[in-house]
Amino acid sequence: MNAPATFESFLLLDGEKKISITKDTKVPNAAIFTVNKEDHTLGNLLMHQLLRDPQVLFAGYKVPHPLEHKFVLRVQTTPDYSPQEALSNAITDLISESTALETRFKEAVRERREGD
Amino acid sequence: MEEGLVSLGEYSISNVHSRDCPGTYPGRNDAWDLDRFKQLFRVEVVSLEDDALVFDMIGIDASIANAFRRILLAEVPTMAVEKVFVHNNTSLIQDEVLAHRLGLIPIKADPRLFEFPPQRTEEGDKWPSSTPEHMLEFVLKVRCTHAPAPGGAGRRGTAAEPYVNSKVVSGDMEWIPIGDQAKTLSDVGPVKNDILIAKLRPGQEIHVRMVCVKGVGKDHAKFSPVATASYRLLPDITLLEPVVGERADRLAKCFSTGVIKVVGNGDSRRAEVGDTRKDSCSREVLRHEDLKNCVQLSRVRNHFIFSVESTGALAPEELMVEAVKTLMSKCKHFIRELDCLGSQ
Repeated sequence: MNAPATFESFLLLDGEKKISITKDTKVPNAAIFTVNKEDHTLGNLLMHQLLRDPQVLFAGYKVPHPLEHKFVLRVQTTPDYSPQEALSNAITDLISESTALETRFKEAVRERREGD
Repeated sequence: MEEGLVSLGEYSISNVHSRDCPGTYPGRNDAWDLDRFKQLFRVEVVSLEDDALVFDMIGIDASIANAFRRILLAEVPTMAVEKVFVHNNTSLIQDEVLAHRLGLIPIKADPRLFEFPPQRTEEGDKWPSSTPEHMLEFVLKVRCTHAPAPGGAGRRGTAAEPYVNSKVVSGDMEWIPIGDQAKTLSDVGPVKNDILIAKLRPGQEIHVRMVCVKGVGKDHAKFSPVATASYRLLPDITLLEPVVGERADRLAKCFSTGVIKVVGNGDSRRAEVGDTRKDSCSREVLRHEDLKNCVQLSRVRNHFIFSVESTGALAPEELMVEAVKTLMSKCKHFIRELDCLGSQ
C-alpha cells in the first residue's frame, strides 16, 4: 500500500541531480560525493578502483539506508591531487578495463566457437 | 599464508580481502596499471551452449566480478509483457493472477531493437498508441469445448481426451505486428511454446491482448534476462604431508570424484591433487580427525568461474557483452555528470 514505485530505484526524479559534492571540512583535500539512483554495483566498484590509486589516502562508500536509492562516497587525497580528479581517473581506468575485458571475452568466445 | 588464497578453516574463513592496494607493503608498487592488468588478465570459456555459458575470468578483482553479476541480474534490459487488456476471462484463474503469469513468460525478441517506453507518471499511463519502436503486441484467444466423440456422434469425446483446448500454453500467444514490424522483425514470440498458462473446461474462454515493453530487472524480476548468473572462486587444495595407503583412499572419498587422485598400487599408493575445479568445497575432510591436518583448503582469490544461464531472449555470450556495455555506459554517464558539476 505504501510501497514506492519500483522504477524510483533507477530513474532520477524531477530536480534531482545525479551527483552532488560536499567538501569535508574536518580534514584537508577530502570530499563526499552523493550519487543518486545508484547502488552497490557502482559504489563498491568505484571504491575499490579508488583504493588502487597511490595518491588516494581514504576511499569508502556506504548506502545510508536501503530504502533510499543512493550511495555516499568519501574520498581523501594527497595535497597535490583533488578528489574529483581522483574519481574521474578511477572511472577512466574502469572504462579502459571494461574495454579490455570485452575484447578478451569476445576473443575467447570466438576461439571456442572455431574450435568446435 | 599465501597471499592470493582465501583459506577455509574448520570454524572460519580467513585472509578474505585482497591486500594489493598501494601502501600495504612498503617498497612494492601496487598502483593500478592498465598494461599490467592486460598482462595478467585471462578469459577462458569452459563450456558454451545455446542457453548456458561457463567461463573463467582470471586476474580481476571481486568488485568487478560482482558488478557484472549484479548487472546481468538487474540492469540488462529485456522485453516482457507489461499491460494485459482482458476482453474476456471466464476461466478459474483471476484476471490479476493471469496477468502476473503472462508477465513472467520469457519473450524471444532482441531488446536492442527497441526503446524504453516513455516515462510513466503517477496519475495515469498515457501511452501513444501503437508505437512500433516501444512495444510488441500479442493476442491470446482460447476457448475450451468438448471434443467430438470418435465417429462424429454426440458431443462427448473419449475418456482420454474429453476436451479441446483445455490447456492454455504459451504457444497459443499470437504476435500482432504493429506498423512495419512484420518487415523488420522475425521470429518473435515466447521462448518456449509449452509453458502452461491456465487450464480451462468447456465453456470457459480467455481472450486477452498483451503489450510487451522493454524493461530492466531492477523494475521487475520478469525483465531479468538470466535464469541466473553466478560465480564461484576456484578451489585450491594443498597436501601438507604425504598421504599413503588406506588413508589416501579415505582422503579421496572425502572429496568429489576426480579432485584427489590415488596414484600407484598397494601400501605405497599416494594421494595427489587432481582437478580442483570439480570440488564442491563441502569441507568434509575437516570432519575426520586424522585427515584434517594433512590438507589445506583454500580458494584462489582472483579466479572467478562465472556461470550465465540465459532465459532465451539473448544468447549468454551476447548477454555478457551487453553487461559490459551497460557498465561502460554507466561509467560514461557518471563522468559526464562529474564534468558538468566540475565546470559549474
